Amino acid sequence: MSTFFNYTRQRRVKNIVLDILIALVVIVCVFPFIWMLMTSIKTRVQTIDPSVWFFQPTLENYRAIFQKRDMFMYINNSIIVVLFTTLISVALGTFAAYGLARFQFNRKEDIAYWILSLRMLPPMAVVIPFFLLGRFVGLLDTHLLLIIVYLSFNIPFTIWMMRGFIEDIPRELEEAAWVDGCSRFQAIRRIIFPLIAPGVAATSIFCVIQSWNEFSLAFFLTSFNARTIPTTVTFFLSVLGVIWGEMAAVGIVATIPVLIFALIVQKYLVRGLTFGAIKS
Amino acid sequence: MKNKRKEHYWYLLPSLLTLVAIVIFPTIFLWYMGFTNYDLTMGWEHHKLIGIRNFQYLAFEDKDFWHSIKISLWFMVFTVVIEFVLGLAIALLFNRRIFGKRLWMSFLIIPMVITPTIISLIWKLMLNTEYGVLNYILSLFSIAKINWLGYENALWSIMMVDIWEWTPFVALILYAGLQSLPQEPYEAVVVDGASPLQTFYYLTLPLLKPIILIAILLRSIDSLKIFDIVYGLTQGGPGNATELMSMHIYRLGFRHTNWIGRASANAMVLLVIITILTNILLRIMRRGTRGEF
Repeated sequence: MSTFFNYTRQRRVKNIVLDILIALVVIVCVFPFIWMLMTSIKTRVQTIDPSVWFFQPTLENYRAIFQKRDMFMYINNSIIVVLFTTLISVALGTFAAYGLARFQFNRKEDIAYWILSLRMLPPMAVVIPFFLLGRFVGLLDTHLLLIIVYLSFNIPFTIWMMRGFIEDIPRELEEAAWVDGCSRFQAIRRIIFPLIAPGVAATSIFCVIQSWNEFSLAFFLTSFNARTIPTTVTFFLSVLGVIWGEMAAVGIVATIPVLIFALIVQKYLVRGLTFGAIKS
Repeated sequence: MKNKRKEHYWYLLPSLLTLVAIVIFPTIFLWYMGFTNYDLTMGWEHHKLIGIRNFQYLAFEDKDFWHSIKISLWFMVFTVVIEFVLGLAIALLFNRRIFGKRLWMSFLIIPMVITPTIISLIWKLMLNTEYGVLNYILSLFSIAKINWLGYENALWSIMMVDIWEWTPFVALILYAGLQSLPQEPYEAVVVDGASPLQTFYYLTLPLLKPIILIAILLRSIDSLKIFDIVYGLTQGGPGNATELMSMHIYRLGFRHTNWIGRASANAMVLLVIITILTNILLRIMRRGTRGEF
């Protein structure tokens, strides 16, 4: 009896230790975000005093970034670029994904994996030719150029994600529709599309997050008019030490939408992170 | 299904043509630039082909090039190993009954989806020697101030931020793997009386191997490409202490000098290394029937 008691007690202690470790992991993951949140509502003097944990919050930094720092322009640029690159990628990519999912043809997997390999290209190799070409045709610092360049990683991503979602849907559903007299295209619209709609939504959100966070390409291909939110870092690097609070406020404004989106697609996260290779 | 009419072309062509236009064509252009002497200050009409001189320059005259390769590879090996070990530990921590598990796991997503440049500036604030919160917390344990972003420590600090950002990624992937493991082999080894450690080493790890390889390769590829965090934290400095490969290309081509030709050559080197890793990754993904790990 007493050994049984000891055993359960040992187990309970072990569980408590493991729970504490999990709490630690969560704290470490969240802490920089919390610190950003706190810094954004501190006064200038408080931002350089890490011993201040409880204070009267101020919204001064948020007022400043919208009034003095043209935050709206950055947000506006980011939204335009992200919206169009996502729409185009999902439209083109979903069709290609259907082609890969539903047809058999020579070298199909070679093509599919070639497409995926494009997703891995280092931005530094992509950006030099685009910088020069953009300069020749006068497209530098335009939304259009960024939208086009972002397609280079969003289309391969969409194709792989959507291929998985389409393959999850039994062929028989479509075939039944054909028997009932639907053309392939009608069957896609009436049968397939409603079923893959959650997949389309999830894939779009991943494209939005990737494009919204993208820095390297935006940094080289824009200079003033088309600057997106991640490039605000270049501005703050030159004046830091003075305005940590404003920087943090920009950070909160920039990351809240991403975090909300990420929570929506949490279910598909592993799938998205591995381009559909691992479905959880 | 038979497909005589080549119908699939109509579905694939728009994407394929777009990709060829925006990826293949520019890449060919990059290769061409790698063999020219072009720099941004000269008119385009003055550029000329100079054979492999850019590569000779990188290999024999540019000490920073070798330095950047060395620290990039070191950066990759170190961060990936730590991220794997920690990620596996975290995945195992979560792989049991926990109250409110979904909520706790959703916090793990924060580091990897938060805008990297922005969070790197927050880290810069937290790592500040004088008023950073990290040194403040250390001082509570009476540990002396650390110059996190000084010459000695800067690379370690960037690794630390990278590990913070991407360990949850590895953890989530491995957790998904653990959750999808079949039950039967485990019942068998319990009957055989294997210890938990033996079970883990001889059963769990081998079963997880494909997923582990995918996670490691994805991380290796990404860590070689790293640019945004480095830019936010140190911009390659102090000196060349954190001048990783992408940072070196940036400096050659855009910042101090305008040697687009040499930068292109360097970008080609990076491209080749990444392509090799990508091919290994894709071969592994292909070997396991897609989606059935």
